[in-house]
Amino acid sequence: MRDHYEDFKARGVEIIAVGPDAGDSFKRYWTKENIPYVGLPDPNHKVARQYRQEVNLFKLGRMPLNCIVDKDGRIRYVHYGASMSDIPDNETFLSVIDEINASSN
Amino acid sequence: MKHIITPGTPAPDFELEDVNGNRIRLSNFRGDKPVVLAFLRGFM
Repeated sequence: MRDHYEDFKARGVEIIAVGPDAGDSFKRYWTKENIPYVGLPDPNHKVARQYRQEVNLFKLGRMPLNCIVDKDGRIRYVHYGASMSDIPDNETFLSVIDEINASSN
Repeated sequence: MKHIITPGTPAPDFELEDVNGNRIRLSNFRGDKPVVLAFLRGFM
């Protein structure tokens, strides 16, 4: 998603990445990788639980989950990853965003 | 685990501090812009 950030930005979209790492290590990673969008540490799993992000018991991490929220605050797209690498491609995200933008103009 | 987040339902609101110390509240984007939420696996 980072490599296509300009495509998201051009469409007036905010990207928020929620992760389980604690504030310090999250910030280190974000700074080191120079990631341009919002990084939101959620070490207490508060938001992950709200969104029912699944836990990977074997790898001690979380399964990927991606949502798109429209301008009315409604879920327009959701994808619960079936594996650690099951993340939708950027074209999928961008086409949903284009639909949202087309319907609200 | 049951998936309760489905298209068409209101996105659960939340507020947390981002890596730069800004309070980020999802509902603040309402009426302004769409939001992509990416729930990460964790770096470690």
